[in-house]
This record gives sequence, structure tokens and C-alpha cells, in this order.
Amino acid sequence: MSDWLSPAEWLALTLSLKVAFWATFASLPFGLLVGHALARWNFWGKGLLNAAVLLPLILPPVVTGYLLLVTFGRNGAVGAWLYQATGFTFAFQWMGAALAAAVMAFPLMVRAIRLSIEAVDTRLEDAAGTLGASPRWVWLTVTLPLALPGVLAGAVLAFAKAMGEFGATITFVASIPGQTQTVPTAIYEALQVPGGEVAALRLVMVSVVVAMGAVVASEWLARGVARRVRGA
Amino acid sequence: MRALVLALLVSTPAMADDVTVFAAASLKTALDPIAEVWSAETGHRVTISYGGTSTLAKQIEAGAPADMFIAASVDWMDHVQAADVMAQGGRVDLLANTLVLVGGAGAGAISLADLPARLGDGKLSMAFVDAVPAGQYGKAALQSMGLWGAVETRVVQSENVRSALAFVARGEAVFGVVYGSDAVAEPGVTVVAAFPENSHPPIIYPAALTAQAGEAAAAFLTALQMPAADAVFVDNGFTLK
Repeated sequence: MSDWLSPAEWLALTLSLKVAFWATFASLPFGLLVGHALARWNFWGKGLLNAAVLLPLILPPVVTGYLLLVTFGRNGAVGAWLYQATGFTFAFQWMGAALAAAVMAFPLMVRAIRLSIEAVDTRLEDAAGTLGASPRWVWLTVTLPLALPGVLAGAVLAFAKAMGEFGATITFVASIPGQTQTVPTAIYEALQVPGGEVAALRLVMVSVVVAMGAVVASEWLARGVARRVRGA
Repeated sequence: MRALVLALLVSTPAMADDVTVFAAASLKTALDPIAEVWSAETGHRVTISYGGTSTLAKQIEAGAPADMFIAASVDWMDHVQAADVMAQGGRVDLLANTLVLVGGAGAGAISLADLPARLGDGKLSMAFVDAVPAGQYGKAALQSMGLWGAVETRVVQSENVRSALAFVARGEAVFGVVYGSDAVAEPGVTVVAAFPENSHPPIIYPAALTAQAGEAAAAFLTALQMPAADAVFVDNGFTLK
């Protein structure tokens, strides 16, 4: 496999996988919290939260990337403070690429989680409650397992979206080989050179394979989990 | 993709005397006022589509209804001419540009030899150094001056030169390598050094008519080479060929 991808392309692919994995993994707890809040809780500003979560889906990615730069850049509102306090900065680091990917993928993740939690029969939760389970225990042993297919589907969808993120990433953290030069950036760059289509095509095929793999895996996981939940 | 591009372009049909120009994004500040004046004088409407030279070249190659192409790179103009979509002859080297090192607003002048030291652990913002013309020229210049090895790991690359400029203007990168005309267009940066003309291949903007261009387009190309247009180009930081 490494024969037909150049070292630079290989680097872009492994970086993309790393960025997409951490973007998904780190945002999953927040996705569960927000998805649950939107599905079950009533609170002031719920509509506002819903709109804010969906915003990256609707805004041009470049705008999202610019807002991230203005907020989390070395001289950004939050970024400057973070750097002063901890010496850590997202700017021009792979973590910045992961942050951009996570923000862009978050709406997809939350939507899937919210829908699957809404679909959980609350009478099952009530029954567990009457049998003496604490709300937290009910959530862990009843709600989450029943919602798991949707949660997994949301996570895989977010992973696939994170793999393909381009506009916000390049606006926020530019393109640095090994740090922020992901597969989409490498494809874009290859297409900027006369006759670069061949190099781009290899990466395009790799992206298609990874995306297809992710979708098939999510279907398979969701079906497997659904069968187990029904069987239990 | 090709069908989509065509559908989008064909949906705004060009009138007989309208001129459609595909021009490199860096030309916008200069070309818009020139086109406006020329339209008022001649009555021909000029529609200019700005974009990255490579994107525009691919669209023209795919049959986009452009009358004129002004590229920021000789290579891409060679490419579309080889693809047989351009008019025979009439290609002119319209403009040239300079390559400069910029710092944040109010930064003091530096010697290029000091660049690695002045950079410290900061970043040097450039367009894609292997793909976008501005980045390629910048890399060539830094290589010929023996500085590339010292700054290579500090370079952050953007998809076009204006994005590279924005990182400097926002203070995220310490320095950036951009065109002289970009430095004029962005008040948030200061030119701190100019690259010697012989340190990189000449930066040339070739212009040519496509095979479907009419008389109005030819007249506009001529107007672009007149003193009135020249003055606007120079005001915007370009140099004349």
C-alpha cells in the first residue's frame, strides 16, 4: 500500500485518520450531553442552543474557520488567554485541525444522537425508575443502550465528515505537512498544479475507500447493536 | 462537475457585446475600476470572474464561456493554450509583480538574511509552496538566497496568497511572503523587505483571448495596455511589462 502512495500522501492519510479520530472521540461526550439536553430537557435558550449547534452546518466553512481563528488563534479572544495561562495553542497544530473538524462534524453527531434518544420509550425508563434505579443508572443501563445504534451512527458520520473537512481547517490552521495537511488539503493542493490530477486521483480513491468503509461499518454496527437490543 | 460548472455559467448568457473575463484573484482591486471606466466609455458590459488561476484554467479548458483569460502564471496559460481553447496569437504579458516579505502593521524593515533569526519560533505564512504560483516563487527566492533550509519547518501554507496574507494581518504568523500588490491591498501588514528580482523566476501575468472572443473582448484587451489602465495597475502595486 505504501508503494503507490508517496510518503507525503501517506503522511496526509495517517494525519487525517488521527485528526478525525480525536475530533470524534473528544466531541462524543459533548455530543451525548447536548443531544440528550435537546431531546429531553426543557430550559430557557433551548432554541438558541439548537441553532448554535447547527450553525457550522449552514455557515460557509471558511466563515467557521475564520471565527475559529478569531477565537482560538494565538491572538484570538480565547486563544490568547489560553496561551497565557497554559502555553498551549491550537494555532497551526494538528489539535487545531481536530478542533476545526470536530466543530464542523458536531451538528451531524448531535442530530443523530438527539433523534435516537427521542426515540427511546420513556416508559422503559420510568419502569426502571420504579424498580429503584437512580436517574443516572437508568440513563446508563436503559437510555444509552437503546440509543446506541443512533449514537454509533452519529459518531461514524462525524468521523467521515471530519475526514473530509477542508474549508474551516485551512482557514484556521493552514496547511503544514504532518501537522495540518490532511487528505482534502493534499487533494486540493495536487489539483493546483498543471497535470496534478493523477496524484489527486490516488488520494481521491483513498478518501472514497475510507468514507465507504466508515459508512459500511456504521450500518453494520448499528444493525448488530439493534439486534442485540431487541434480543435482550 | 463539468456539467454543473457549465450549467451555472450558461444560465447567465452573454450578450453579443458583453465581455466575460476570467482573471486571477489578485487582480481584483485593479481590474474592477478599469473595467468600470471602459464600460462607461464603450457601452460594452464587462463581467469579471475572479478565482485562483488553476481553477479558472480548468474551467476554461472545460469550455467555460470566457472571452479572455488573465492568469497569474505563465504555466497555466501555456496549459490552456495547449488545450486548444484559446485564440491563435495575441497573447501578451500584461503585468508583472514583485515579491515581498511582510510583517504586521508597523513592523520595521529587516534584512532578508536575518529572516531565520527574526522568525524565532514564529511562523512564516506562504501560499502552497509547491502548487500556488505565489508560494512557488517564494520558495524559489528563499532557496536561491540559501534561506529555505533554515525556515522550511516554520512555513505555514495557505490555498491562496490572500489567505496567507490574512494570517500575517491577524498576527498569527510573524512574517509572510506575498506579492507587492497584495501588500498594498492589505492595511494590516507592512513590507519589511523586498526579494531581489533575480532571486525568483519573473512573476508575469499573461493575458489572452479565447477562441470564442469577439471584437469587444479584443478591444478591452487593447484598453488594458493603454496608459490609463497602466496607471491603475501601478497604483495597486503591480509593475508593467
